[in-house]
Amino acid sequence: MKRKAIKKSILLGLMLFVIGGAQAKYVPGQSAKKPAAEDVILSEPGLMPSAILEITDEPGHWFKDPVDGDSLVVVKPGEAVLLKMTDTRTEHTITSLLWPSNASGFPVDQEKPSSVSVTKSFDKPGLYVFTCKVHPYVFGAVVVDDPKTEGLDIGSEIQLITGAKVPATSDIATKLLRTYFVATTPDLWRDYSKPTWNVELPDIPLNIGGKVVSLTALNISVPNKLFNPATPGIGEVWVDTQFEIIDGKTKPGSATQVDATTWAIKKKVKGVDINMNHPHNMWTDSQYRYIYQTEWFDKRLTTFDRATGKILNSVEVGESPSHVLTRPTDDSLYVAINAGESVVKLSAGKTPSVISAINTGPHTSPHGHYITENGKLMVTPNALASSVSVVDLNSEKVTEIPTGGVIPIAVWGNPAGTRAYVANLLGTPPAMLSSMSVIDLKKKTKITDINLAEDYDPITGKVTGEAYGLLPIQTPVSPDGKYVVTANTLSATITIVDTATNKVIKSLPCEPGCHGAHFGLKEGGGYYAYVASKFANELIIVDMDKLEIAGRVLLADRKDPTITANNGMGGQGVLPLPLSEHSRLQRTSRLADSGKLTPEVEGWLKKATKEQVGGI
Amino acid sequence: MTKQLSAKRSFLWCFGLLVCLAGSLLPAYAAEPQGETHLITLKAANLPSGQLAYQMLAHKIRSKGGKIRDVTDRYKQAPTVPGPTIVLTEGDVAEVTLEHGIKGSKLPVSIHVHGVHYKIEDDGTIKAMNKKVDSAAFPGKPYTYRWEAAPGTAGTWPYHDHTFGNPMLGSEDKGLYGAVIVNPKSGKVPALIDGEIVDVKLSDVKREFVLWMHETTFWGAEINHLLDGRQIPLWSNPTVGARLGELIRFHVIGMGTAFHTFHLHGHRWLEHGTSSVVDAVNIGPIYRQSFVVKAGEGVGPGAWHYHCHVLQHMQSGMMGIFRVVE
Repeated sequence: MKRKAIKKSILLGLMLFVIGGAQAKYVPGQSAKKPAAEDVILSEPGLMPSAILEITDEPGHWFKDPVDGDSLVVVKPGEAVLLKMTDTRTEHTITSLLWPSNASGFPVDQEKPSSVSVTKSFDKPGLYVFTCKVHPYVFGAVVVDDPKTEGLDIGSEIQLITGAKVPATSDIATKLLRTYFVATTPDLWRDYSKPTWNVELPDIPLNIGGKVVSLTALNISVPNKLFNPATPGIGEVWVDTQFEIIDGKTKPGSATQVDATTWAIKKKVKGVDINMNHPHNMWTDSQYRYIYQTEWFDKRLTTFDRATGKILNSVEVGESPSHVLTRPTDDSLYVAINAGESVVKLSAGKTPSVISAINTGPHTSPHGHYITENGKLMVTPNALASSVSVVDLNSEKVTEIPTGGVIPIAVWGNPAGTRAYVANLLGTPPAMLSSMSVIDLKKKTKITDINLAEDYDPITGKVTGEAYGLLPIQTPVSPDGKYVVTANTLSATITIVDTATNKVIKSLPCEPGCHGAHFGLKEGGGYYAYVASKFANELIIVDMDKLEIAGRVLLADRKDPTITANNGMGGQGVLPLPLSEHSRLQRTSRLADSGKLTPEVEGWLKKATKEQVGGI
Repeated sequence: MTKQLSAKRSFLWCFGLLVCLAGSLLPAYAAEPQGETHLITLKAANLPSGQLAYQMLAHKIRSKGGKIRDVTDRYKQAPTVPGPTIVLTEGDVAEVTLEHGIKGSKLPVSIHVHGVHYKIEDDGTIKAMNKKVDSAAFPGKPYTYRWEAAPGTAGTWPYHDHTFGNPMLGSEDKGLYGAVIVNPKSGKVPALIDGEIVDVKLSDVKREFVLWMHETTFWGAEINHLLDGRQIPLWSNPTVGARLGELIRFHVIGMGTAFHTFHLHGHRWLEHGTSSVVDAVNIGPIYRQSFVVKAGEGVGPGAWHYHCHVLQHMQSGMMGIFRVVE
């Protein structure tokens, strides 16, 4: 409480400082205006930035004002801001997410990830939010405040990157604003080791379309309740707690291993010796000996020993490797190069090495890819190209399918290998604010788009049915092929689509920054969907027989003194073991009693039902 | 205020005297200057944006005969990016005192200069690197560097911080950088004028434009000789202007990690140190090119574009105008 109050006064003080500082600023070219010099000085000064936002690797402060460390700067109309990349080990884009409608010179949108900076002047008062299209929760904001109006100017109408225009008073605008403040303020993240979650913002007057309201209008307070599922799961669940700050390394993140029978944390793999940087997504080999770990804000794929957590190998694969999968037939690795245009293929085993790169097409930036259970096809969602690429893994022939989705970010397929479901982070304009494209993998065409937010009114915020999912991310298909479970980051909901009807049949409450999802085995039969969120430190367990939340378990380890901040936060990649896809599970099951599996893994397999292994 | 200034002045004088006294006992590199002595006080300070920048507090020039000229009014009385350009002539000496004016920080800040001669104590690095001394200013503890524009050092050179926040990299990236121009003692530089390679007198050059290429932005400054060498801060991607037919000297310098290709429309020049005629030059980090053009030669007046020719840099706005008017 005291800390909050301090933070409040700091924020307020900083804002005053920024405003005050801007007033006191030095006007370039002043001497040029003296009459004596007027005729002989023919140069005209360019923009002098009044503020800076620097992209860093620091969780929450990805766009950082070097003056106060916040992700928000306040300038006056006519002033300029320098947006640059400083303390980051990978490439990004600087892209407008939203801006006041008809602001001149907007949007800013760098079409390819790189390290380049931009100095931008701002004329129209209002809120401008910037993001990176590769890492789309990297947020920074500029408020252009006209000192003559009361309150900080937010504007009256906001334009989104998708082309949609919404009133600044609309529910969607309010949601975006709250999400921005929560995402960029680690103190506001939902900490389940405390009894309640309080979003307490400072009392700063905002001018929204001429109406003055306090920023405190965005405040919320809800109780935190953890509970274990009544029925245990089988095996374990790995969650990338990507934002944990750990003693002894400068880059954040760990992989947290949770026991699916006791729901206790078994260990956290931190990679202190290699300064593991933003561990984002994982996969394993068919014997479950190794965990392959991508470092998303870096260039590396790291391998560690599943049982001991010892780092075995770390190899540079390209800019912003996001997801990793094995080919079920031979355990070779495929890593999506998110700030590039390829998927890199690596050898299987303890020390993977790069074999080749499959070019997925210009400006593709593939993120969360999928490999069919028969190992024949790979599908990549091409975040910057509004397309998916289908790759024949034998011939490595690539077919790019335009989908019209904005930032297709993750994809998964049905067990038969005939359909893939692609989450479009920013929907399919103009009709859908939030969508999932269904792809026919045989004909290599888009079948349809599912409107994930069909029952949501973006103006009033009224939800009239189950279809309420905004900004979808991971979207796995259940191993029985019945459902697509999607983590929606803006609405903080988990939507469940019935693959028979392509309709959202259920929406469940998630957390701020809802992000990662995957299926694991439930003891006695059936599946659990495990869902992790970036700005919360708990793992949600969804019972796929009841389509209900079965449990919420803590990802923070309060007894570990080496975790100095963001304990358990940053939930992104989720890897339940045993792998639940039938063909993958069968491949491991065939190794039972061969001596190639550990007794622990043998024990897990013994618990799996016949149905869970696909009827074999 | 006046009292403070005079105290500072006498401190400087004492310091100057000490250096001179020490100089007489030291070998040739600290010998009596053949040219003028520049008594310079710079401050490293914050800009409201969070950038850091150097500001010229005082620049006096002592002639060989001991006569002092105060040229401080050539400079903007505020921190600028790039920092003030220090113009010397071969044979000159500069005694540059740096004050620490970065609010909220006790970290050392320095000036590491390229090109000119200096002793290890004046390297602008911390003791852990130079094994001798923290060659940097601390709050309330200015540091004085002595540079010799010895024969053979003519050229355009960068100076930048080498200690603030990071002993290896310093904070040049945040704005702590500027240029030193050492003019040749001959007062002439080769140039391509009216299709011929000739030696032009620097005294005939009307304006000099210093353009730094950093990330995807040009940061500029003008030295206007029609106004007795006044320096005009031009900030990012500026319009640089000249009259048709004037001799204009460009200094293009790279900074940071990116490699650039500087291109100026409608003009050609001699690639530095060669007789090769070019209209585009590669600029890597801390690499520089200086050249003289005759504004609008053979092409006339116009808004001549200058830009980095790396496509991604162009797309991010790394460009400006060379405006040539009648």
